[in-house]
Amino acid sequence: MLRTIINKEILENITSPKFVFTFLLCTILILLAVYAGVGNYRSELKEYHSALALNEKNLESQTSWGLIAGMGMKITKPPQVLGCMISGIQDAVGRNATVNIAFDPSLVDSRYDSNPVFAIFGPLDLALIVKIVLSLFAILFTYDAIVGEKERGTLKLSLANRVPRDQVILGKAIGSFVSLLVPLVIPFLIGLIMLNLFPDVHLSGDDWARIGLIFLFFLLYLFVFFTLGLFVSARTNRSSSSLFILLFVWVVFIFVVPKGAVVLSKYMRPVPSVHEINSEKDAYLQQIQNEAIEGRRTFFQENPQEDTPEWRQKAQEWGAAFQQELTAKIDAKNAELEEAYQAKRRAQQLLALNLSRISPSSALTFGTQSLSKTGIQEHERFLNAIKSYKPIFTKFINGKLTENIGTGGQPPKPDLDELPRMDFKPMSLNDSFMLALPDLVVMALMIIVLFAGTFVSFLRYDIR
Amino acid sequence: MLEAKDLTKRYEDGLLALDHVNFEVREGEIYCMLGANGAGKTTTINLFFNFIDPTEGQALVNGIDASKDPLEAKGNIAFVSENVMLYHNFTARQNIDYFAKLGGKTDLQKDDYYAVMRKVGLQDKAFEAKLKTFSKGMRQKLGIAIAIIKDAPNIILDEPTSGLDPKAAAEFMDILTELKKQGKAILMSTHDIFRAKTIADRVAIMKEGRIVMERTREEFLKDDLEKIYLNYMQGIAA
Repeated sequence: MLRTIINKEILENITSPKFVFTFLLCTILILLAVYAGVGNYRSELKEYHSALALNEKNLESQTSWGLIAGMGMKITKPPQVLGCMISGIQDAVGRNATVNIAFDPSLVDSRYDSNPVFAIFGPLDLALIVKIVLSLFAILFTYDAIVGEKERGTLKLSLANRVPRDQVILGKAIGSFVSLLVPLVIPFLIGLIMLNLFPDVHLSGDDWARIGLIFLFFLLYLFVFFTLGLFVSARTNRSSSSLFILLFVWVVFIFVVPKGAVVLSKYMRPVPSVHEINSEKDAYLQQIQNEAIEGRRTFFQENPQEDTPEWRQKAQEWGAAFQQELTAKIDAKNAELEEAYQAKRRAQQLLALNLSRISPSSALTFGTQSLSKTGIQEHERFLNAIKSYKPIFTKFINGKLTENIGTGGQPPKPDLDELPRMDFKPMSLNDSFMLALPDLVVMALMIIVLFAGTFVSFLRYDIR
Repeated sequence: MLEAKDLTKRYEDGLLALDHVNFEVREGEIYCMLGANGAGKTTTINLFFNFIDPTEGQALVNGIDASKDPLEAKGNIAFVSENVMLYHNFTARQNIDYFAKLGGKTDLQKDDYYAVMRKVGLQDKAFEAKLKTFSKGMRQKLGIAIAIIKDAPNIILDEPTSGLDPKAAAEFMDILTELKKQGKAILMSTHDIFRAKTIADRVAIMKEGRIVMERTREEFLKDDLEKIYLNYMQGIAA
């Protein structure tokens, strides 16, 4: 009996004009998104390799460590291959940072900076298609699944037979969901094949596992809207009312909750602006610079300059220690300000994320971005890696500069093999999954609650 | 056999839709329920299929209480509704196939469906045509074909000739007469006094949830059924 109902649902759906329309539109959009994503990835990869080569060339052309200290070390963020599918925040955040001994590094030169036209239209990626287009189709497939059958009289005719209601609702749910999956699965598989055909796109075993999990997220997300559609359809007496309610909830979930959560968190957990923090840092730097001038003056007053190796030795040692002390003070103050700022920012961000999680759209965004390593966490990890690299770089450069103080003559050409490089390892699959897990759980809970609601509502549904 | 025993239904809003209704429809008999809208005809039908629970009394299908064992009861009744819509994107054969399987007929072949559809007067070219191309009369015929293929001992029809043209309605009546000859117990609610007079073995008039009159064929053929009906509707007992 269940199989009969499932087969009927599938047949009814796939022979409907809405299915043909959905399938064609999804195929076009998904393939277009993959193609555009691969195009972006290839150009990002090219830019990344060019930036690395240029940085090396610049370093090699420097004749002293002093010049390298001034120029700083250019760090470029490597593009993520899964950005072909989930662009995440990659386009909006900076890709390059300069690490030098003076300033705190930050990532600049986002894709939107280089070409603001991208910001106007935003990226077209799989997450966007599933989030907006397919969720809408899930609603269009289900809004009249029950109430529509009631209006047509087919529900009454079906239930005039020896058919338990639980089998009817189960059969409808399975059959309709399978029909809805076709417009996602087939273009998605074609997209993956297409992805493999590009020579620049190399997917590792880890990437394939991530793609599998991303697909699981897509399925769960669609199932949330699908069960929502069934639930509302089982609670209304007119399909027009069902569609109206569902479209309202869809707008709330897709647009109102995510944007509202950000606005609300700004009021609930205010954070000072970056300019305010930078002003504080600049003021402190100015204070330290005055201290440096004063310190040197005192040293030279107490230790008048002599042209002896002993004096030079003493000056060199004092200079190194003084420089270290000042740098340590700047670093400590900057770290203190930065830590306070980051703590406030994190609290605001966490509040916004948690508030927005009541929308499956946000859960999908966070989950897929964590899994594709294109989300906020991966960006922060990269930024933290740069910040951790800064003291290593500073210490090394200061050491090199100190070696040369007072030696006179031409400083030796830097040996770049000695220069410590930044070591950044992308997030492991396990860590990404653990990050995505709360979103997975949120969606699974929504599905359970909505399906249980649908089930109970249908058992009591007045089919007259 | 269909039997209503003190069948009573009071809705949640307090409306008494059925008030201790008693009747029975025997094998090989057509029982017509006449009455205005809201008289309780459809409520009675809904109780036989357990679409709603009775407040009091029983709706018995071959002795099975529909509210206590609804699935077993439904296995013994076929249903034809007022406006058979079915699935528009399906062909007539796909529709009948689906409902036949729901009715427990899982071993039927295409030819079996074609035979039933021919029997109810559908033309061969309509068998594999999509329902959206069907007229109302064709849909009603397919509805009765679905009821026939279930091969249940009882058939309940809710205003089956409503909206049908006279020719289609007459053809429909012929099919019911044929089913009656096969020994089916047929309960039909209708506004159509003319059709009821043509085929009914017994007629009941329902008003405000009660059966206010019941006549056998011999009785109502002697009298003017239309006049009796109008008198009851106007509150003048015959």
